[in-house]
Amino acid sequence: MKRILFSLALILSLAAGLRGAGPAAAYFMRFDLDWRVAGGLPEKAMLISLQGLANRETGQFYIIHPPGYQWEITEPLFEFYQRKHGVKFTELKTADEALTQFKSVPKGYVVWDKKVGPSLNVAFTIAGLEDAVVVSEELIPLIQAHGLKPIDDLRGRYTGQTDAQIYQDAVNRYWARCTKDAYMLMGGHRGAVMMPGMADWGVKRKMFFHDLAANPEIPAELALERKLLSQLNPGATAFGWHPYGKDTEEQHTTLLSTYGYKMEGLHNLPNLSFNCWFSFTPGFTFTNHHNVAKDAKLVPQEKVYLSFVQSDGIGIGVWTKPGRGKLPLAWGAIMGWVNFSPAALEYFHESATPNDYFIGGLSGPSYMYPNSIPAARFGPLMKEASDLMAKLDERVFEIMDNTAADGNLGNADLTKETVDRYYANFPDVIGFINGYGPARTRDLRDTRPLISYDYYIDPRRPREEVVADINELIALNPVRPYFLLVHVRESNDVNSLVNVLTQLTGPTEVVPLDVFMKLAASKQTYVTRYQHPDDPKHFKGF
Amino acid sequence: MKPALLKVLLGLCLLPLAARASDASLVGRWRLNTARSTALDGWSTADVVIALDGSKVTLRYDMTWHATNVTASNTVDTALAADLANFFRIDQRHMAVYARPKESAHVTAGWLDGGRTLRIEALVPVETSQGNTTMRLYDEYRLLEGGKELLLIELHSTRERPLVYHFTKVPAEAAKK
Repeated sequence: MKRILFSLALILSLAAGLRGAGPAAAYFMRFDLDWRVAGGLPEKAMLISLQGLANRETGQFYIIHPPGYQWEITEPLFEFYQRKHGVKFTELKTADEALTQFKSVPKGYVVWDKKVGPSLNVAFTIAGLEDAVVVSEELIPLIQAHGLKPIDDLRGRYTGQTDAQIYQDAVNRYWARCTKDAYMLMGGHRGAVMMPGMADWGVKRKMFFHDLAANPEIPAELALERKLLSQLNPGATAFGWHPYGKDTEEQHTTLLSTYGYKMEGLHNLPNLSFNCWFSFTPGFTFTNHHNVAKDAKLVPQEKVYLSFVQSDGIGIGVWTKPGRGKLPLAWGAIMGWVNFSPAALEYFHESATPNDYFIGGLSGPSYMYPNSIPAARFGPLMKEASDLMAKLDERVFEIMDNTAADGNLGNADLTKETVDRYYANFPDVIGFINGYGPARTRDLRDTRPLISYDYYIDPRRPREEVVADINELIALNPVRPYFLLVHVRESNDVNSLVNVLTQLTGPTEVVPLDVFMKLAASKQTYVTRYQHPDDPKHFKGF
Repeated sequence: MKPALLKVLLGLCLLPLAARASDASLVGRWRLNTARSTALDGWSTADVVIALDGSKVTLRYDMTWHATNVTASNTVDTALAADLANFFRIDQRHMAVYARPKESAHVTAGWLDGGRTLRIEALVPVETSQGNTTMRLYDEYRLLEGGKELLLIELHSTRERPLVYHFTKVPAEAAKK
C-alpha cells in the first residue's frame, strides 16, 4: 500500500512539475467590452472580486477579454495554459454559474454606491480584508440567492464627500489591516466608465484601493497619498494606474519614484491573481535572440543606422498585430512579471520571431523615473533590475524619465548624476536607451553607449509625414554613421513601418538594437549631453 | 541721370511702400483648421494672432498640447533684415530637433501679391543629436479669397514635403473671449 501511495504521490508531483506547479483544472469566463457603470461594470466588478478570492489559495478562475480590450493576450495565454501547463478549463457562462461554482469562497458581500465612483474602490478594499464580493444594489437579490450575507453597505455613506474625504475615511477604517508591500492605485477610467480589471490582484493580496490624485492642484488628495506612501514598506509597488482627468501619468510616476516605489500597470491588467500561480515550464530558460556577441566590436559604415523599439507594455498592441517579425524590433518586456505573471513572459518568448529582441526596463525593475529616485534606493532597485535582466537574458536597459515632461513630449532627459548611477549599477549591459518621446541625453563610456530616441512614431501620424520626418532628421544629422533610434508607439502597424522604410533617403539600414548599440559604441557621432538646468521643464514637480 | 542711379532711387522710393503694402484683413486671430492642414505633430491646437505696425509684423502663436500652453511671438520687419532671438516655428515635436533659445535666427520678410502674402525667410539655429546646425525656413502667409482664410505654406531646406496649414479668421468678438 505504501508503495502504491508513494507511486501515486510521485506521479502527482511529476504531473505538477510538468504544469510548472500551476493548477490542473480551472474555470474561465468570457467578458465583453461593456464597462459602463450603468451597464456591464457592476457584474464585472463582482466577478473580478470573486476572482481575487477564488484565486487566493490556488488559481481557479481566469477571465478572457475580447479583441478590443487593451490587453490582447488573454486569449493567447488561455491557449498557452492549456497547451503548456495542461490546464483543463471549464467555462462559466453566467455570473450565477460563477457564484454557484465558488459559493464557498466569499464570506459575504459589500454594496458599493453607483452614484459615488470611489465607493467601488472602498468596496474592493473591504472585499480583500473581509473575503467579500462587491455588488451594486441591483445585484443584491442575485447574491442573496446564493446565501451570502451583507458585510457592509456603502450606499449613502459618501454622498456629497470629496474623494479626499472618502479615502480618508477608508484609511481610518481599513488602512491598518492592508498590506504595506503594495497598494492598488485603481485609477484609469473614471466616471461613466470604470475598468478595474486589476482588482482581483488587489483583493487577493489585501491591498488598499484608491484613486487619489498626485496633482499639486488637488492638495488634499496629494497630502493623503503622501501619507500612505510614507507608510509603505521599502521596495513597495503601486499596482494600477493614475486616475485619468485628475492627474497625469507623469505626476503620479514622479511621486511614486520620489519614494523609490515601483509602478506596475495598468489598472485594467487582468488575471494576475491567476497568473501568479504558474512558474516557467520545467526546463524553460529565457534565451534572447542576440544578434551579436556580448564582447564583439563592430565597425560601422558610412550610412544611417535605424533601430526600432516598442517599450509600452508588451501585452498591449503591436505584439498580436500582423506584420511582427518583418522588422527587427526590440521589446520592453515587463520584467516584474517574472514574479507574478511568468507564464505570460514565457508565452511572449515562445511566440517571438528571430527579429524580436527583449530589453530590460523601464528605468528600474518596473516603471519609474530615475531622476526622482532617492539616492539610497537607487542601488537596491537597480540590483533587482539587473537580476531580472540576467534571468531574462537581456543586455540592453531602457530608461525613461518624464518628470519634467508633459505627456510624451517635453523634457525627457537624465541628469548627469542619474547617468553616472546607471553606468555604475549596470556594468554588464551593452548599452542604455532613453526616452519615450524624443530626448537628448547621450553618452558613451567604455563600450556602453547611452542613446536617446531621435524620433517617436505616433500611430496616428500619416505615414507620408513619418517619412518626411525621418528624412528630415537624416538631413539635419549629416555625419555618417548617423544612429537614429526610433520609438514605435504601442498601436503602430508594423506593415506600415516596412512601407516607410522603402521611402527613406539612403543609404540606410535597420539593425537589431544590440547591433545598433555595438555600432554606436564604435564610432561616436552623437554629442554627449545631459539634462541641463536651463532646458525647459513642463512639470516643475511637487 | 545714369540708369543705375535711377534704379537705386526708384528702389528707395518703392521699398517703404512695399514694406507697408499689407492687407489689413490679415490683422487678427486665426485658428488652425486641423482637418484641412498637414497633421500637427504633438501640438493639439494652434492660433496665430497677426498685428501690423508700419513695416513691422508681429505673429503671435498660441499653442497647446496636453496641459501645456505655449505663447511665442516673432516680430519681423518687412523693411529690414533682423536677427531674432527665440524664433518660433510650429515644430514637429516628436523629432529630436530642439530650438537654441540663446541664439538668433536671421530673418527677412516682405510683402508679395499686392500685400496679401507675407513672406518670411529665416535661418533657424537648431540642436540635433549630432550637434548644432541651421535649418533654412521659408514661409508664405497667404490671405485667401474673401479674407476669411489664411494659408501658411512652410518649406524647410531639410524637408522634402511642404507643411501646409489652413487657418480660419476668428471673429473679433470671439477672439476677445
